[in-house]
Amino acid sequence: MSRWNAGRDRRRSGARGLTLGPVVLAAFFLCLSPLHTWADGPDPDTGTEVNAPAAGKQVEETGSSPAATAEKPSDQYGDVTGQEAEGVGTRIADPIEPWNRAMYHVNDKLYFWLLKPTTKAYKYAVPEGFRGLIGNFYQNIKAPVRIVNNFLQGKPHYAALELARFLVNSTVGVGGLRECATQCFGITGREADFGQTLGKYGVGTGFYIVWPLLGPSSPRDTVGWAADLALTPTFYVSSQWFSPETVGLYALDKVNYTSFHLGDYEALKAAAIDPYVAMRDAYVQYRKKAVEQ
Amino acid sequence: MKKWLAGMVLALLATLPLIAFAGVPLDTVKTNVDSVLEVLRDPKLQGEAGKKVKAQRIEAAAEKLFDFVELSKRTLGVNWNKFTPEQRKEFVRLFESILKNAYVDRITAYTDEQVSFTKEIPLSGDTVEVRSVVIGKNNQVPIEYRVIKESNQWKVYDVVIEGVSLIENYRSQFREILGNNPPETLLDTLRKKVGAG
Repeated sequence: MSRWNAGRDRRRSGARGLTLGPVVLAAFFLCLSPLHTWADGPDPDTGTEVNAPAAGKQVEETGSSPAATAEKPSDQYGDVTGQEAEGVGTRIADPIEPWNRAMYHVNDKLYFWLLKPTTKAYKYAVPEGFRGLIGNFYQNIKAPVRIVNNFLQGKPHYAALELARFLVNSTVGVGGLRECATQCFGITGREADFGQTLGKYGVGTGFYIVWPLLGPSSPRDTVGWAADLALTPTFYVSSQWFSPETVGLYALDKVNYTSFHLGDYEALKAAAIDPYVAMRDAYVQYRKKAVEQ
Repeated sequence: MKKWLAGMVLALLATLPLIAFAGVPLDTVKTNVDSVLEVLRDPKLQGEAGKKVKAQRIEAAAEKLFDFVELSKRTLGVNWNKFTPEQRKEFVRLFESILKNAYVDRITAYTDEQVSFTKEIPLSGDTVEVRSVVIGKNNQVPIEYRVIKESNQWKVYDVVIEGVSLIENYRSQFREILGNNPPETLLDTLRKKVGAG
């Protein structure tokens, strides 16, 4: 489920994290979805793109087909040929589909039974403006991820911009609560994550994995997620992996982010014929774009 | 002086058609999307009573905006050719209904976003990509509309948000079903979905 992983901020043009669910939908709903907002978590998905003309079980979809012949061209219901018939091959292998589908259902329940009610209560209790500040804080604290990855991707210019943003927001923006760099000085950076970096260096996606809690990912994205987590300062508030502090900070990020995206996942599900496949495809397309840009 | 004026007028006239031509796909999409947003923001249509009227108007705008046949063909790809003419018609009707429902459901929740159309990029002889950005309070979402010229009208056959193409997304879902099943199975799934919705 997308929202678990959905994190990153896409407010600036740069990369985006995975927000697939919403993405997709939004897509279609053409319009508006606040898919992305501030929070940007070191998502698992973040990490990688999926380019995956991989194997998988899917079937063909090439331009040519014996069937694609005759028929009067004037008939709009006639056969498809050429451009129309072409598939844009973005696929990912899914060898562990039974596990993935099971995890998809686990995440689905976690969303409806836990995350959504919690977020609703939170949204009710915390005013939007304040949630915005928290979103800014999380976005700012993840600056090291963007700085390092922009640098590794051979974009020192953006790394410098992200560093400048971080410095301005942490000081003038009062510890990152306000996005002053963009609002006061017009400094916009570029999203970047380690999975994307690996993709740019030619590391393939591998196959599709759905992690409980974290959502859609791949081996490469999983590594990317872990690396980005290691670059996130909030991860070091405690010396232990799981402590009330680390888990609490992570949960707040998630809930705060979700408070701006309630309804996105529901809409994705409502529009999909097979929500599992819809999410997988959105994830693949989304990560592919992240690596390409 | 007169000559100069005449020259100016001529130059102006010469450029006009060009400008107009260049902007047609973008303008078409913009006009239709704007009309949807207008309906959304219409103060007279607030509340429960306005909801239905809103949904109808948005549906009407969606009809003008999208080419559902083209959208269906591109979504099915070569699988389209496995459908009989009757099945094709039914598929288009069902798919259209699913897309419209989802669209209306979703879009009625939005009111404050600003949409700015940035540019258009030719994709092929008769297709163009119109780029837009939806500016929310805290974010910007790039949305591309792919349009095709059909009998002198530009209609949308794909919407790409943040790199995720709508038709590709549905294609992956349909492909999975059509991989092992005849078209009838897919139609049946869609019928159920439409019926339930």
